[in-house]
Parts: sequence; structure tokens; C-alpha cells
Amino acid sequence: MLLDQLKEAVINGDQDEIKVLCNRVLEEKFNPVEAVQNGLIKGIEELGRLWTEGEMFLPDVMMGADALKLALDILGPELAKAEAAGIKRDVKGKIVIGTVKGDIHDIGKNIVSAMMTAAGYEVYDLGINQEVAAFTEKAEEVGADIIALSALLTTTMPEQKKLVDYLREKGLRDKYKVIIGGGPTTQDWADEIGADGWSETAGGAIALCDQLTA
Amino acid sequence: MASQVSLRVLTEDDIKQVHESSLRLLQEVGIEIEYQPAVDILRDAGQRVEGTRVYFDPDFVQKKVAEAPEEFTVYARDPEFNVQIGGNNLVYVPGYGAPFIIERGKRRATNWEDYMNFLKLAHVAKDMNLSGGMLVEPSDLDERTRYLDALYAHIRYSTKCLMGSSYGAEGANDTIELLAPVFGGREALKEKPVVITLINTISPLKLDERQTGALLEYAKMNQPVIIASLVMAGSTGPATLAGCMAVQNAEVLAGITLAQTVSPGTPVIYGCASSITDMHSGSVSIANGESSLMAAAAAQMAKFYGVPCRSGGGLTDSKTVDGQAGYEAAVMLFAPVSAGTNIILHTAGILQYWLCMSYEKFVQDLEIAGMLRRFRRGLEINEDTLAVEVVSKVGPGNHFLNQMHTRKHHRKEFRKPLLSDRQSYEGWVLESLTSEDRAERVRQQMLAAYEDPGLDESLQRELQSYIESRKAELLK
Repeated sequence: MLLDQLKEAVINGDQDEIKVLCNRVLEEKFNPVEAVQNGLIKGIEELGRLWTEGEMFLPDVMMGADALKLALDILGPELAKAEAAGIKRDVKGKIVIGTVKGDIHDIGKNIVSAMMTAAGYEVYDLGINQEVAAFTEKAEEVGADIIALSALLTTTMPEQKKLVDYLREKGLRDKYKVIIGGGPTTQDWADEIGADGWSETAGGAIALCDQLTA
Repeated sequence: MASQVSLRVLTEDDIKQVHESSLRLLQEVGIEIEYQPAVDILRDAGQRVEGTRVYFDPDFVQKKVAEAPEEFTVYARDPEFNVQIGGNNLVYVPGYGAPFIIERGKRRATNWEDYMNFLKLAHVAKDMNLSGGMLVEPSDLDERTRYLDALYAHIRYSTKCLMGSSYGAEGANDTIELLAPVFGGREALKEKPVVITLINTISPLKLDERQTGALLEYAKMNQPVIIASLVMAGSTGPATLAGCMAVQNAEVLAGITLAQTVSPGTPVIYGCASSITDMHSGSVSIANGESSLMAAAAAQMAKFYGVPCRSGGGLTDSKTVDGQAGYEAAVMLFAPVSAGTNIILHTAGILQYWLCMSYEKFVQDLEIAGMLRRFRRGLEINEDTLAVEVVSKVGPGNHFLNQMHTRKHHRKEFRKPLLSDRQSYEGWVLESLTSEDRAERVRQQMLAAYEDPGLDESLQRELQSYIESRKAELLK
């Protein structure tokens, strides 16, 4: 019942309900990993499926992703304890995402970030105007699989190359998959700078991540 | 709140001048009416008659036109598909009467299979309010009796309202005879009209035997008629649009006056299909700035007389589903929709000035019609839609994609396209489909989605036996 309610709250993007339900999880000492995997994640998966079918729209998915993030924040300490005790939850992969330095455009990046969350990834969104070092630091800290870089200006695209070069210099290039996106970027540009993938759309980015983490 | 979309192409004084010119034409030139019962009815009502020429008294015309209803309901087999004609309602009707089909630029005669396909498309299409009339002219059926097969098909395979036959008094009577048993008998039909029929005048200033004969029968039965004039500016009317409209208006007023004289309160629709002549070839051109102006002006004239209007359409002179077919149809739909027309015949499918139909054009026009229905609905301005609270909450530089207000409103505020491609280049280039390619797919999906609504079997037998006996008479 609680699991169904968690799922529903994510589908409805209802943050108030999420707070109430997550506090119940804590008070009732409900297994937090169970709450995430069989409740919250089921809701976000349902949204993702309905979005693919054209039944649901971006606001539905993004509000669902926000609700899920809020729940993970509330349950965070308990989840960490469970993890320390050896109870693992299934995560498709961890992604560090952000908009590169000098670029403050984030609508597209926010959409991709939400869609990645909806697709079952653990997403660390750094926001806008980020130095290359910030991406690698976060990736090292959380043990990311993928670093995703957004650039909407032709003048900030070189930052994407800079990150790939930076990883090489630090001897970290093979540790992470690097994917890029943004209006002026292309597959040619991704090839040129030695990125692992590119997509024009959020849906394409998910397919790309699935392929890279398979 | 009512939509404020209201394009105006005529001033009140312009309307009055057109009106007065038409009354002069009706009084001084008169209308040639090639159907004796109609001439007799008008003579008996006090109009001056010489042979088949009827001279209308201006006061009589105005009095009669005032008797026509401003708005009325037409009842469908499925009440969900009842249509309201008049007010700010916008009713879309498929293309009508084309003898040819164009597929990928190749023209051929239409057949019964095409007829049934268009009927199914019209039934399935959400934006199509009527299943239509003679959707195409099926060349493989005998032309003397094909209207009976067509009527039966509309009654049997769609539950939307349909258009009646205007093949003379006989066609009208057959239409009524076929509909009466389905809708509870002739008296019930009179109470609740179920069929709309297109009655065309002959420009300039004539009403022929066949159309007038049908008009009289429908008026007696209180079934709505569209009195439509198609003046070709420069050939069957003056080259000035004003002169063209005066002629059109005179013809339509004559038709309305006749209908009200037969039966006061008969639902009528002011119809305009006027267009221009290509002055090099003499051919009609149905999609241009001039015709769209007249389609918009007609909506204003109809409002002036207090009757609903039919004008415009997904019209084009193009012979294939190309840019011309798209931009001409858009112009010919946009102007009348903006001006408040109520019913649009030939909304979807037409190519080559009404001569041809196209499946892909049908779908493409549905998209334009859908966009324009949204346009006509207008802007909704209130505290909730102005969204100041949400904007304050989100603040500068942030986005609205994760706001409940967005989630709640976008579904109603935005129309989802049927055909338009809004993909990324990456997505589009995979198949590189043009609008015509996509329209072909949508058409196939729509045909696959068609479900037979069914019809009581004894009713089917009754209608079929009527048709058989009528065919035996007509083919003698």
C-alpha cells in the first residue's frame, strides 16, 4: 500500500505527498531500499513509459523527477546506512551532468537530466557555468559512469573538448564515458573531440546512455 | 468567455451598400427561376412574375429573411455528434463532389472504394463534424442512382450528421424517406432536423430546376439548406469583388426568401463559394487573396442578416500535394475562420478547383483545420491564465517545466499536431518524410482505426428494400 502510494506520488509529481510518505517510511522503519526500488522508481518508470508512448508530457516527467529527488534527499541517510550494511539497490548507472563554463543555458540540460532520472539513472546535476574540474571532481566523488556536457553556444563548445583533454591529462579518460549535447553540437564535433557519444534529443540521450552502460 | 477573434473586412456602411445593391438587383433585374412550383409560390406571396422571372419586393425579402433562425441544432444518430450551426460554432465538412482522385500526382476516376475510404476517414477524424455529402463521384456506379448508395453508406457506416441529395425534388424525397425510419418518422424529423443540403444557385441570378426542386422539399420538412452562390468574378460576375458580392448576395437572399415563404423558420445557411476567373485561360481559380476576402465578407453579410454562414474551405488550384496546396488551403481556411464563418464545406481533400480529391491532402487539411479551430477559440485571459503567482514563484532565469500550473494548462492550451513534424533533425533524417509521406501514414492509421458503428438489421433491410425499389424505377 505504502509502495503504491509512493509510486502514485511520483506519477503525480506531488511533493507534499512525497514528504508525508517518506516520513512514514522513516517512522515506520520501512525498508528504505524497498521504498525506492518498488515504490518511487516504479512511478518514475511508469512516467517514462507513458512519455515514450506520447500519453504524458515533459512537465509530468520533470515533476516526477523532482519528486523522486526530494524523496532520495529525505531517505538519503537511511539509504546510506542500508548501503553500508551491504543492501545494494539497482542503479542503471551514475551520471554527472552540467552546462559548461561560460554557458548559462539550461532548459535542454534540465530536460535531459530529468529524463535520465526517469530512465533509472542516478543523476548529479551540477547546474550551469561549470569548470571542467568540477565535473571530474564530482565524477570521482560519486563513482560516476558517464559525464554529460551541455553547450548551447558555439563559443562554449570548446569547453567540451577541454574536458576530454583534461581527462586524458589526468589519466582518467578510460574511467568515464563522455557524452555531449546542445543546439550547435553535432556527431562530427563529438568525433572530432573524442567524445563517446552525442545526441540531439533527450530521448536519444537516454538510448545513448543505455548503450554506453550496457 | 467568448472568443474575440473577429476579422472584419467590411465596414457597416459597406455591408449596407452591398445589401442595397442586392435589393435593387432583386427588384429591377429579378431572378430567373426554372422551377414552376417555386415561381407559383412566390407569385402567390405577392411577388411580380413575368414568365420564369421573379421580381422581389425589397420589404418582402427583408421580412422573410428575418424569419430564418440565427442558430439551430442538427441531430446525429449518435447524439455526441449533434452539431450546432450558428453563433461562434465552427463545423467542418469534408470535400464534396470531386470526380477524380489524385495520388502522388497521378489523376484517375474515383470509385466506390474511394467513397468508402473517405467516409471512414470523415467518421474517424475528430475535427470533422459531418460525415459529408457526395464525398467523391464514384464512376463505377450508375450516375442515376449513385446518390442512393451514397446516402445509405452515410446512414449505415457513420453516426455523424450527413448531407442530403440535391438531385431535384426526387433526390430530396429519397433522402427524407431514407432518414425518416432511422430518426423516428417524418414528424420527428420536422421537430429535429437531421440533414443539411447544399443548394447551389446559377450565377448570375438564376435558380435551376433541380436545386430549386430539392430546396422546396427540404423546406417543407424543416431540414436545413445551404443556399450557396459561386460567382466567378470576371466571368459569371463583375470583375470587382464588390459587384461580385452584390450578385452573390442577391442570389442567396432569393433562396432564403423562397425557403421562408415555403415554410417560415426553415433553417438556412448563407453560402459563399465565390471566386475569381483566371483572365488568361478563363478557368476558375478558387484559392487566392480575392476569394479569401469574399469568404470573410460573407461571414459579415450573414451576421448582418442574422443567419449562419458557410464559406471557405481547404481549397487550392494545385494538382498535387505540394507547397501550393498547403499555402492556398491555409489562406482559404484562415480568413473565413477568423471572420466567424460557421460551417466550412470542402474543409479537407480538395485539389484542382474542386475537381479532385486526395487522401494525403485530406490529412494535411485536417491539420490546418485543427490549428485554426484552436485559433478561433481565441485567448483566455483571467487571473489563473495570467499566472502572476507562478511567475513570482519561479522567478527570473528559471523555468516552468516542473510547475503544476504548466502541467495543468498545457494540455488544454496547446493543440497536439496530427501531421506536423516537430522532431529534431536527427529524428527526422532517419526517414526524411515529407508532409505527404506522413499524411499517407496517418491516413492508413485512421482507416485502421475505423470501427463499424452498426445499424439495426431490420432497419438495414427496410432501407435496402426502399433503395432497390427506387433503383428499379430510376433505371427503367
